[in-house]
Amino acid sequence: MMKLAPARNTGLVNGLLLAALGLIPYLVAAAAGQPDPASAGLARWHTAAESIYCAKGLTPVGVVFMAEAAVLLAAVIAAQWKGEQLGIMGAALRQDGWRLIAVLGLIAVPFVIAWGTGSSACVRGKAFFWESIFIDVFILAILAISYNLMFGFSGIVSFGHAAFFGTGAYGVGLFMHHLAWPWWLAVIATLLLGVLIALIKGVVGLRIKGLYFALFTLALAQVFYLLAGNRLMADITGAEDGFSFGVPDWLNVARNRLFFYYLALAIFVLAFVVVRRLMNSPTGRVLNALRDNENRAQMLGYNIFYFKLIAIVLAGLLAAGAGVLRGLALKGASPEVLSLTFTFDPLLMTIIGGQGTFIGPVVGAFGIHLTEEALRDTVLSLGGVEINIGERWALILGVLFVISVMVFPRGIVGTLAARWQQWQSAPKNAGDDHG
Amino acid sequence: MILRSNSLRQSLFISAAFVAALLAVNLLFFRSGTVAVVLLSGMYQGMLFFLVASGMSIVFGLLDVLNLAQGAFFMLGAYTGFAVYGALPESVPVEIRFIAALVGATLVGGLLGALTEMGLLRPLYARPVFQIVLTFGLSTAIVEVVRTMYGPAGLVPIARPAALDTTLTIFGGQFETYRLFIIAVGFALMIGISALLQRTRLGIIIRAGVQDSEMVQALGINVRRIFTLVFALGAAVAALGGMTAAPFLGAYPGMGADFLLTAVIVIVIGGMSSYEGTAIASILVGLTRATTEQISLQYFNTPVLASISILVFMVVVLLARPTGLFGRE
Repeated sequence: MMKLAPARNTGLVNGLLLAALGLIPYLVAAAAGQPDPASAGLARWHTAAESIYCAKGLTPVGVVFMAEAAVLLAAVIAAQWKGEQLGIMGAALRQDGWRLIAVLGLIAVPFVIAWGTGSSACVRGKAFFWESIFIDVFILAILAISYNLMFGFSGIVSFGHAAFFGTGAYGVGLFMHHLAWPWWLAVIATLLLGVLIALIKGVVGLRIKGLYFALFTLALAQVFYLLAGNRLMADITGAEDGFSFGVPDWLNVARNRLFFYYLALAIFVLAFVVVRRLMNSPTGRVLNALRDNENRAQMLGYNIFYFKLIAIVLAGLLAAGAGVLRGLALKGASPEVLSLTFTFDPLLMTIIGGQGTFIGPVVGAFGIHLTEEALRDTVLSLGGVEINIGERWALILGVLFVISVMVFPRGIVGTLAARWQQWQSAPKNAGDDHG
Repeated sequence: MILRSNSLRQSLFISAAFVAALLAVNLLFFRSGTVAVVLLSGMYQGMLFFLVASGMSIVFGLLDVLNLAQGAFFMLGAYTGFAVYGALPESVPVEIRFIAALVGATLVGGLLGALTEMGLLRPLYARPVFQIVLTFGLSTAIVEVVRTMYGPAGLVPIARPAALDTTLTIFGGQFETYRLFIIAVGFALMIGISALLQRTRLGIIIRAGVQDSEMVQALGINVRRIFTLVFALGAAVAALGGMTAAPFLGAYPGMGADFLLTAVIVIVIGGMSSYEGTAIASILVGLTRATTEQISLQYFNTPVLASISILVFMVVVLLARPTGLFGRE
């Protein structure tokens, strides 16, 4: 088979394609609806489009999405066979087609659920409920991607990721609530705060090696947790109960949840693309090198401190971004966001999914959180013992964790990818006993 | 060797200076009765931390595993002790039931430790971070099983033997005798483990293994069996600690987690794999905690400084000495 020349700009082509596919239904909806003169900007578009995408059951927008998904699926399958004849488009589809379909599928999820359950994507109901769960999943996936950037790609073990996440949720709330800053200023300031914490952690902490560094970050995160939840801070952070704050109408999940869903999805995709871009760049190669052998990377003349700092700062930025989304989604923050849960959840998701792979942490986040939500009210009967899965989730997660560490040494994605490669290379050495 | 003993002397000096500073703070801020109580409760907390941390430290030195299930073993010790205590009929004297509970907790802890090492950790020795993750998952699972079996609320503390159920008056401060018993148990184990490490053949092998376990293996010693033994020993000491604390704290599913984090702080301050470091650091951390708790209660009416102070202590130690007070480079 003719080997394809490495195509440039396939990412751009795919991005434009995805943007077009995602926007068409929305633009169609916006154009078809009657604009409401009382509202402005995004809100006007939203009101205008409501009649098209908020109907119960099968909506026109949903139909367009499903048609698009079918066409894209056909195109990707075609590109697998005839990719080289289709030029840059074919190359782009060959390379990232399945991911495009996954994203398009996620764009269509609210409408598919609305169709399946006969509910509306915009008002209280089944689809509305699942949108909020998917928003959580996207947030956790961003967090896991950020964790994987440090742990999986750069080999920096941290037990203090909750500090970034919690800073995001608390920061945006505190700036908006106490300083009455507009949302965009609060978000930017919070992200900068995340970067600042990452810089402090890196500059101060990176001379501490290995596990000591991990425990150093753990200690810092616990200090944040204890401070935020303390009675002394009750006027500012609301102590144990946390505090709630108002958000602009268009960011309010109770009203514009569909929009927030797409916002979270877009940021999740952005995080994925940014990390992938970084890891495929020369900087990413150096990060990989120092994960594999720090001394060798240093011997080759790389300033490992500087490269580690890049990884920590970007990871901090992403995790703080996830925290901001969480704060906005819940319209509040409580000490829970700084607790060990949000350090260990991304760690588990990364390890179960496959550390050091691009889709591993995403698979981990989706798999774990969606399974938990789907099984929430299920009661399992096991030899006369009734186990309520929702109540015993921590137990199941603990066992799952032990099993996956034993059975999937490189995580689900990493292990399966290794098997796949083994299987693919098998015919070449057919005479081989191992084949 | 000279360098090592110099840095050891320096570390000891720093520790002594720190204790002196804490004493000075105590004498400045509190009345003499309070000082005695604060110091004693610092010692008692430190001993409990030591019981959880000592196993972690030796296991880390020998196996390179940070055993996060140690807190769960601590909690299991308390529940096992309660079960043994409850299983014995009322006619048996309280003292014997109490001692049986201590022994039962230790044995069950040791057994579980051995099973964990053989069944779960062995396949993972080449992958250090995964072992941390595994012990964390295991501890989550244990805590949840206990919560399912006994409910989320704790068990009411069992009756203590009469001799330990009194209150002492020291310099005008009230102090429960039982806490002195905890201090005594802690010291006994501290010295006992130290003697085991310094004076017995097994101890020599363990210390050699901490230095270089491959070399010990090469000398024809079955290091695997030593690994299992040490892991079981660490778990047994933690379980004994849990049962020792139980008449005072009761038994509740989250009690392990409360001690685990502090135990991690202790071994980090002491220098991960150093046994003497852990012993000294646990006392330092206990005293720091007790002192700041008292200050915090006195001036802010909340104990928050107790937890924060030891975290800050750890961060400061790490920044000044990236491998802890007594750690090796």
